[in-house]
Amino acid sequence: MNRHQIIRDKIIKKYSILVDDEKKFAKSINLPLKQSFRVNTLKEEKERVLNKLKEYDPKIRTTEWNDNAHVSELDNLGSSLEHFVGHIYIQELTSMIPPLVVKDLIKNTSIIDCCAAPGSKTTQMAAMMENKGHIIANDARHARLKSLRGNLDRLGVTNTSVTLRDFKSFPNTKADLYFVDAPCSSEGTIRKKKSVARTWREKDYLRFNKLQKGLLGKACEMAPSGSSVVYSTCTFSPDENEKVVSDILDKYNMKMKKIDIKKLKSESGITKWNNEKYNSEVEKCMRVWPHHNDTDAFFIARMEKC
Amino acid sequence: MLKPLVKEKKELIQEYCVKRFGMDSDIWNNYKWYAGSKNKIYLANTLDIERIIPESKGICIFRLDKSPKPTTNFLQLFGKYISKNYIEINNKNTIKYCKGDDLILESNKAIVPGFVLITNNKRFLGCGHWNGKLLKNQLPKSKFCNINFL
Repeated sequence: MNRHQIIRDKIIKKYSILVDDEKKFAKSINLPLKQSFRVNTLKEEKERVLNKLKEYDPKIRTTEWNDNAHVSELDNLGSSLEHFVGHIYIQELTSMIPPLVVKDLIKNTSIIDCCAAPGSKTTQMAAMMENKGHIIANDARHARLKSLRGNLDRLGVTNTSVTLRDFKSFPNTKADLYFVDAPCSSEGTIRKKKSVARTWREKDYLRFNKLQKGLLGKACEMAPSGSSVVYSTCTFSPDENEKVVSDILDKYNMKMKKIDIKKLKSESGITKWNNEKYNSEVEKCMRVWPHHNDTDAFFIARMEKC
Repeated sequence: MLKPLVKEKKELIQEYCVKRFGMDSDIWNNYKWYAGSKNKIYLANTLDIERIIPESKGICIFRLDKSPKPTTNFLQLFGKYISKNYIEINNKNTIKYCKGDDLILESNKAIVPGFVLITNNKRFLGCGHWNGKLLKNQLPKSKFCNINFL
């Protein structure tokens, strides 16, 4: 057995007790993911782009839960002219969820995207905002800014300022919305990324938990009353998900908000893991399992500062 | 570090866009203009952030050396407002253009030599420089790519 298979089996075994259907879960983890994308409405009308893309792949389908999330049978849409001119952005379906959970707030607001590179969510939000309002897209690593800037340029995003800071030392800045798409063990992307198995280490949970709490804590600390904070990861690990949110709820004056995306199958956050009990409010978090919507795994929490 | 662009330079670019591409200068009413390093001009509709200097704002639209040079980002985003000095190329040439090649095209008297917008089937590809015979590719190297679907 190679390392990829070993890690995959470890993940299946570890999280089977949390899922509703163990067999389907295990089966889905072993299936590769199809390429997904969204149309960049800042540059072109959705229908026009889709009609053109259907000339290359007539089987392109739109998901039931997001009218701008599309799946293709092709795995190289990155070499289409539509990608070159910035009409499409190749993005995992689950990665499109965070902006959707605050769809009601997103127009003409000020947003801080704390860990923005490579810019999937930033560019998605800019499109939803029709290039109005203001986004601060921050990342801590200089090397990652190149891809962020490249995507902002290609997609024609003009309402965004790019900053290079460790978010934990970011100056207190008021905004209506804070996005913390935190670095994580990325277990949930194992269907797509072979690199996950290469870098996966059991002891990383603790390291990531500390980092995530630092980032989310900073966002909650600087958020003014009434503003919203969205926390997301692409890992199954409760140590990086509910535990982080639970600890933050206990420390900061934050209130959980229930998330509902119509027609997206999901489950609530868990309140117990490894003999540890979490704040019962974390039930309002959302868990997306790979076998539910044929996607990666994803975790998301929406909070409001009291 | 970005600084607000001086009025004279802003007017110079706007005048260039009106004369060269037949654009309406009103389209930039809601934008702020900035000057960056290496004579780069940025266009953004962002707010100023207190106590932090951003790495960049909005998109780089021009380079202002001896004369204004539009960027591919600018032409792709504002191509719909361009009414003259654009060249439509066929699929074969589009593949070459995206690879970074220069193109030899039939002469076209309607196109005044200088920077042009390259289009393919209503898609705005980017910038080229036309001298009456040769269309010199102006794509940045980072954008060179092989196109399989068009």
